Amino acid sequence: MARQYRRSHSVLTFRMMKILGKTRKETLMMKMKDMRTDEERPGGSIRRLWFPVALLSVIFLSRCVTEFVPEISEQKELLVVEALITDQEETYTVRLSRSLPFGKKSDARAVTGCLVTVSDDSGNSYMFREKEAGIYISDSTSFRGQPGRKYTLRINTYDGIRSFSYESSQVEMKPVPVIDTVYYEKTTVKEGVDFMPGIDACSIYLDTHDPANSCRYYRWDFTEVWVLRLLFPVPNIKCWIYDRSAGINIKSTAAFDEDRVSRQPVTYITNITDRLKSKYSIQVNQYSLNEDEYVYWRKLQNLGDEVGGLYDVIPASVPSNLSCIEDPSEKVLGYFSVSAKTSKRLFIKDEFEGIIDRYNDCISDTVYGNGDIPGLGTSVWILIDHPFPSHVRILTDKKGCYDCTVRGTTVRPPFWIGE
Amino acid sequence: MKAGISALILFAGLSFSVAAQDKKLPSALTAGMTFREFASAAQNLLRVRIYYREEWVKDIRTGNYSEDFTLSRILDSLFSGKRLFYFTDRSGNIVVTKDFMVKRIGEVSVADTGVTAPSFAEEPAQDHQVKGNQFILIGNPAERNKPGKGNISGYITNSATHEPVAGASVVEKLLSAGTISNEFGFYSLPLPKGIHIINFSFMGMKEKSANIDLAGTGELNMEMTGVLIPLKETVVSAQKNVVLQRFEAGVEKIDLTSFRLTPTAMGEADIIKGVLLVPGVKSVGEGSAGFNVRGGSADQNLVLLYDAPIYNTSHFFGFFSAVNPDVISDATLYKGGIPGRFGGRISSVLDIKAKEGNMDKFRGNAGISPITAHAMVEGPIKKDTLSYLLAARTTYSNWIFNILDYSSFQRIRASFYDINAGLTWNAGKKDKLEFSSYMSHDAFRLGADSVYRYTNNIQSLRWRHFFSSRFFSTLSANNSYYKYSISNESKTPGSFVLSHQVNSTGLRSDFNWFQGRNEVNFGADLTYYSIHPGSYLPTNESSLVTPHVMPRERALESAVYAEDKFTVTSFFAVNLGVRISSFLTFGPGEAMVYKPGFSKSRSTITDTLTFANGQISSHYGGPEIRLSMNLRTSPVTSVKLNYNRTRQYIHLLSNSTSISPTDTWKLSDYNIKPQTGDQVAAGFYRMWFGNKVESSVEVYYKTINNMADFKGGANMVMNENIIEEMVNVKGKAYGLELALRKQEGKLRFTLGYSYSRTFIRSISSLKEEIINDGKWFPANFDKPNDLSLTVNYLFSRRLSFSADYTYNTGRPITYPVATYHMYDYILIHYSDRNKYRIPDYSRLDLSFRVGGSLRVHKIANPSWTFSVYNLLGRRNVYSVYFRKNGDEIKGYKLSVFGQAIPSVTFGFDF
Repeated sequence: MARQYRRSHSVLTFRMMKILGKTRKETLMMKMKDMRTDEERPGGSIRRLWFPVALLSVIFLSRCVTEFVPEISEQKELLVVEALITDQEETYTVRLSRSLPFGKKSDARAVTGCLVTVSDDSGNSYMFREKEAGIYISDSTSFRGQPGRKYTLRINTYDGIRSFSYESSQVEMKPVPVIDTVYYEKTTVKEGVDFMPGIDACSIYLDTHDPANSCRYYRWDFTEVWVLRLLFPVPNIKCWIYDRSAGINIKSTAAFDEDRVSRQPVTYITNITDRLKSKYSIQVNQYSLNEDEYVYWRKLQNLGDEVGGLYDVIPASVPSNLSCIEDPSEKVLGYFSVSAKTSKRLFIKDEFEGIIDRYNDCISDTVYGNGDIPGLGTSVWILIDHPFPSHVRILTDKKGCYDCTVRGTTVRPPFWIGE
Repeated sequence: MKAGISALILFAGLSFSVAAQDKKLPSALTAGMTFREFASAAQNLLRVRIYYREEWVKDIRTGNYSEDFTLSRILDSLFSGKRLFYFTDRSGNIVVTKDFMVKRIGEVSVADTGVTAPSFAEEPAQDHQVKGNQFILIGNPAERNKPGKGNISGYITNSATHEPVAGASVVEKLLSAGTISNEFGFYSLPLPKGIHIINFSFMGMKEKSANIDLAGTGELNMEMTGVLIPLKETVVSAQKNVVLQRFEAGVEKIDLTSFRLTPTAMGEADIIKGVLLVPGVKSVGEGSAGFNVRGGSADQNLVLLYDAPIYNTSHFFGFFSAVNPDVISDATLYKGGIPGRFGGRISSVLDIKAKEGNMDKFRGNAGISPITAHAMVEGPIKKDTLSYLLAARTTYSNWIFNILDYSSFQRIRASFYDINAGLTWNAGKKDKLEFSSYMSHDAFRLGADSVYRYTNNIQSLRWRHFFSSRFFSTLSANNSYYKYSISNESKTPGSFVLSHQVNSTGLRSDFNWFQGRNEVNFGADLTYYSIHPGSYLPTNESSLVTPHVMPRERALESAVYAEDKFTVTSFFAVNLGVRISSFLTFGPGEAMVYKPGFSKSRSTITDTLTFANGQISSHYGGPEIRLSMNLRTSPVTSVKLNYNRTRQYIHLLSNSTSISPTDTWKLSDYNIKPQTGDQVAAGFYRMWFGNKVESSVEVYYKTINNMADFKGGANMVMNENIIEEMVNVKGKAYGLELALRKQEGKLRFTLGYSYSRTFIRSISSLKEEIINDGKWFPANFDKPNDLSLTVNYLFSRRLSFSADYTYNTGRPITYPVATYHMYDYILIHYSDRNKYRIPDYSRLDLSFRVGGSLRVHKIANPSWTFSVYNLLGRRNVYSVYFRKNGDEIKGYKLSVFGQAIPSVTFGFDF
């Protein structure tokens, strides 16, 4: 009986998605697209439609799609540098790894035992120490970036046989203004009609301006936290869930007379997440960029996930600002980012219609009767345990339904205000 | 007959001596010879020509003469009592006759003398223009002694249909001077005064010759008769020497017969597939629309039908070209040496000439293949005055999809049809009017709810007027319309219809004037474009799509041109032309002004210019030089050189490799400059084995400015500011093309090889727009090695065999070479743009054709074609693509045909 119930629920969810006309993946893609303000145009997905069309047309003729391993001469594992220094008093991280040649699937291979230093234009040099494999951190007490200074990153790798040195170009830290405001707007995706609830979504924007007209190139990212409260009286019922931005959000005001950014989209929250269900908070970080780094991000942003088809976009390699001293032809991936940084936090507690509750799927099975349930192992969790009047236990096979720490933490964040 | 003529005539050198009659021949050199040996010796010694028939003189041997005699003295003695006579023309050339004597010519014309000249033809000619094969006096005899050359000109017509025969070769073999008839069937050939034998030949027509005595400048019209078997079934004669006569390097007459014999995947003859056999022409892959000529992109080809441009040249995902082969009379591809009358595209012109309806009798044909059915009828409405032609083609593939077992095919729909209609009216001796109409339609749906449709429509009216026999004009008006739409008609909030339309109306006038050694062409053309770049509208009430219509673009392209083909000497000719084109765009509209020195994007717009209705918003233009030279280095060789500049004002927005149905046409505007191309080409041509085999070597180098390339991820659809997605690139291409052809006899072949490269380079000063560090990199359609071999063997007129082999280098591709992790993302590292190539392509096709009986007056003449496409079953890679699934990228290759595809086509003529 209860099984039936679950099934009908999933059908409902499916229908809801159909009504939205989008799959979850597409919604996420939309989210990514929204970041790209310059590219925002109606009919944007039409060209993408054509590829499957071409593919299908060919498939029906003889269905000759086979897996293909191209012969690639570039088998070298390239050095990947993820490095950011800011003007905040915090530890800066340089993460070094190796790229994986095409077709190899594994986690990033950390590059250990390197000598990592950042030097500025006044002759100071700061050493990073390896905190864990491939992760090198600075000492926040001795090194803090200063706007106006120029910095160079040097890395010496040693693989036991040979040592290579890599050096970045000299990067100036440009000052960054504070974010004027971060605000949200509730948008109605679909009006509620009769018994069908409406659907709301939330767009978060920011405004900023630089009175000195000097920043010109901006990058933003964010961290978000929201409260999750489970429906069932279980021990870990309330958690804070963290997430980070997953898109590239940049903007140039170089062509404007005034260095001002208005209504810059930060993120778009749809009804298929539970972020807005009770309380949500977002911290937006604003970084200053040099023109070169702006171009780097823009190129990265333009790369698609699917390439090579006759109707797909043409990809290109994205050059880094680091190079190998011993072998200048060797490609280095990643970027040494030098940015001043400011942040602003926003809380949202509002009523949003039509939020899809993924925990509706949680009710999984109901068992009546006294005594122990045979075969009850660790992979089954008890959601509700009513000893009276007759013994009823509601079980689930998903741990997330029973324990909110699967997705978050029960530790209250220090900045959290109120509930 | 042609064998007869070559045996009959011996070559004797190019200079003539009036004193030859009086010169004596040394007896030592003339003793005891056969007549042939003697004639050849005499010709060499006296530098005259001697015409005779081998069988008349085979028993004659010269005696031992005691002293040196003149030639006439020897001939008198040799011919006495043998009923052989001879006469001597003014240059001292000797023509031998049998059974009758020719009076001295020059004083009186042939018609007045009543003397019958010897007939070299095996059968008497029926036409009245050239009676028998007399020595026809051309020109005013009074001019005979004036210095300078004479000129012979006239019209060549088909005796059955009275249509002009275009592209027929007119050759004086001994001088190896010649020309080709133009589209009116007109030819003009300057020759030295005196006796000549002129040969007229054209593919599929009986070769003819005329003996002329050229006194000055005059006319000779010629009717040619088609061979018994209709043209498309077999080739009887080839165009000889044409390759040597043409001015332009890189002009190819597409041989209809061979393209009809060439096997194709679905049993249909196809003009584009014929074009692809030409060296230097490539396609991106099977089933892709369009073709690339000498390293140009697919939109740089002007494809003309009825003198109007076709904006989408394919049907059915590119497997068929848009023009029904039944209506094609001939097709010419200009890879280089583009004449002044053509313009508006950079790379090439494919000029498809349609057939005129038969003026004499009702005819037709019909056929079916696994995918399509076609039928054509033509005939007179009023004999010799008004005729019609109707042709239609359609597919019945939907029916096939239904009966196929796979459920995934059930929702697929793909269909097309095209209709051609034409009326030809001979409005008098001097006027000819033609009205032609073409319509094609494609629709397909592939599983999803979206239906794709596109339509081409052409209406064309042409009026040819003959002011005199050497001055004529063509005036034409045409309209070409192209529309595509994608619609989702489901009752969902997302249902939409997206459409794009191009409408161009052209007016043009062309004048041809033949004056002595000059052929002057001049004219003007005017094209008005109206483009609806895109509209995005809801289809029904349940749709929540916000309607969006992009503003219309309007422009006027105009050009004037003049060119002169000047035959300097019999072995050197020059064609100098200039075309001045101009392009104006009109309001209403807006143009964005971008801040200079910055990448164009919404955020670098500094101003918006608004243009009122009819106000000129931008204009471009300039002269385009077209220069060709042809040097006949020997009777069997020629060298050609040419240079041309071309401009292109309309561009296909496509950031994919092949033309896709969703690509849109865009006019140059305030921000988008026209593309310009410059090409220098040279060619060397040689005929072998009595002109049976022709060979050519051509080289070219070209540069293209303001080529359109796009940033990665560019969105082309409904984009009002497409300039923001464009990067300024320069292109260069060079190559070597070799061809060897034999187009007559039982065994025929075409072997073509080309080595060609195409590179592009980003020239922007902005870092963001630099590709591959600003170095030259191969363009998407750079396929260096390309080999094609077509062999036809005609066992008999009923049975023929054809094999076709193609090999080419795979096209360039950018591979993902590594993945890496950064800031929690999994990123893909790509190789330099187009660093790698997809695997090479090779394919072998075979076909057999069995024709019906040879009787001409049978009611229907059936034929069967059995063909196997991709006989080796090679899985040629059409495309390689990559997908990111989670943190893994997988490569896939896609082949259109994974096995051999047999097909049977049945057709009949009536």
